[in-house]
Amino acid sequence: MNSQRLMALLVAIIISAPLLLPDGQGIGLVNAILIWSIFVIGFDLVFGVAGMLSFGHAAFFGVGAYTLSLLTMRMGWEFIPSLGAAGVVGGALALVFSYFAIRVSGLFFALLTLALSQLIYIMAGTKLRMLTGGVDGIAGVPRPDLFGIDFYDDGNYYFFLLALFILALLISGLIRISPLGQALKAIKSNEVRAEQIGFNVQRLRRSVFTISGVFAGVSGGLLASLIFYVGPQMLHWTTSGDVVIMVLLGGMGTLFGPILGVAIFEFMREWLSTQTSHWYGILGLIFIICTIGMPKGIAGLITQLWDRIMPGGKS
Amino acid sequence: MSTIVIGLSMGMLLFLLAAGLTLIFGMLRVINFAHGSLYMLGAYLSFQMVNLTGSFWVGLAVAPMIAAIVGALMERIALRPVYDRDHVYQLLLTFGFILVLDEAVRIIWGLEYKQMYPPELFSGAIEMFGSSVPSYRLFIIGFGAAISAALFFMLDRSRYGMIIRAASGDPEMARTLGINVSLVRTGVFSFGAGLAALGGAAAGPLFPIELGMGFNIIIDSFIVVIIGGLGNIRGAVMAALLIGMTRALGYSYAPSWVDFLTFILLIGTLILRPEGLFSRKGRTA
Repeated sequence: MNSQRLMALLVAIIISAPLLLPDGQGIGLVNAILIWSIFVIGFDLVFGVAGMLSFGHAAFFGVGAYTLSLLTMRMGWEFIPSLGAAGVVGGALALVFSYFAIRVSGLFFALLTLALSQLIYIMAGTKLRMLTGGVDGIAGVPRPDLFGIDFYDDGNYYFFLLALFILALLISGLIRISPLGQALKAIKSNEVRAEQIGFNVQRLRRSVFTISGVFAGVSGGLLASLIFYVGPQMLHWTTSGDVVIMVLLGGMGTLFGPILGVAIFEFMREWLSTQTSHWYGILGLIFIICTIGMPKGIAGLITQLWDRIMPGGKS
Repeated sequence: MSTIVIGLSMGMLLFLLAAGLTLIFGMLRVINFAHGSLYMLGAYLSFQMVNLTGSFWVGLAVAPMIAAIVGALMERIALRPVYDRDHVYQLLLTFGFILVLDEAVRIIWGLEYKQMYPPELFSGAIEMFGSSVPSYRLFIIGFGAAISAALFFMLDRSRYGMIIRAASGDPEMARTLGINVSLVRTGVFSFGAGLAALGGAAAGPLFPIELGMGFNIIIDSFIVVIIGGLGNIRGAVMAALLIGMTRALGYSYAPSWVDFLTFILLIGTLILRPEGLFSRKGRTA
């Protein structure tokens, strides 16, 4: 057993909590964790693997949520095709963004993705009010209707989300070990060298950005169905910021780390917000301390502890 | 006429923020996400000062000083330990500052909108070319112009400016020449924070003071800084006026397209001249 597996075990324990605890306690929390995890699993491909800091992923997340809501509620589509469409639209928007944003790198990339996503946010609140319901959003987003199972029961919906979560995890794991993932790591560690070796850096970046847009779109659609609501807040830049915090907290570039980050973030949101109304500020402080003190997040911490307990063992 | 005045005054406010952003970037290679929060802090602080002392001018003078102290602390405590890491971490830290500063403002001043009034001297309106213009806007234009002139003088002619230019051009060389680079960094960050708060204090009587004000202006400031060319303070002046005028003209002729206009400027710049519209080779400060 190494620290990777330890983290996988931790993740497994957290997401199976509703099965272990009596009366399915914490089911709402775990459902939210599963959905946000799908988002960060995709986001970390861009941030952790390819080394691109995007502050615009809220756009794909929110657009996915609106797509699912509009297709199911206005067009009468079934849930599953709508969810697929949410992913497609999220990915398509990410592709459009990437044509503008990938021209620049580093800090410019962060700023440009932020600006573009803010443009989408403004559009949803004003220009597209007919479609999006403006600042009020759209209430009454449905959940899937499959095999006669009542997914409006959180306990049943959990299994639906769990299946999608595992699928997302598998896809992301495969991408990480695939030639694409290896090439992206090469680009992250030295862009010029990767280009000289013969990788088409721009195209690889665009691909991974688009893939993460699909993850974000699907996750957004799922969140809308979980809380039966979609509003422009999901498109707001703070959503992009939340995802960055989750990934950094958990440990960027690791498969399981960001999921632990989500778990802690969501747990804090749930718990701290009942204790104090200033939880976001506390979160900011924790974030600052983590950024300075443990840049590799919880994943790094676990690896370190593991190496101390099992000296000599390769992790 | 009033459109031009509004545009110029907006431009001047944007310049106060963009100048700090660009100076900080030139010196620390970090984009300060929290700049908008410092601007907001400046507005709240000056509101508080006006309430305490009854004088607008005290607010305008004291708010930037307090914000400068906050800025110096931010740099000393949080940013300094991560200079040798990837720039992304510094960006993330300044993002953390936003959360903390916004929360602090919420705790101290609450959620309600605050309102400030222009000082007695500039509370009226002036007839210019057949239209009436609020004199406070004219004050902002003059004030901004004075500040930017002073800034240019300081950067180009004074010993401090020389040190800043040297330290941002080549920190290693500056250090070997006996310049305390880390002190210069703290100074520049704190100075930039002060400028942002000065902008906030000056903007207080123009807009309602609220929690979202920082974020509304930071996006525009980013756009200004990118269009002007990062680290290029001359470019920032031109770009700030350009964005200010675009906004003002947009509001009077096509209000629902204002945001699109500024974004089109931004995207156009990045596609045509990613180094900034007003950049000249070899100039950093």
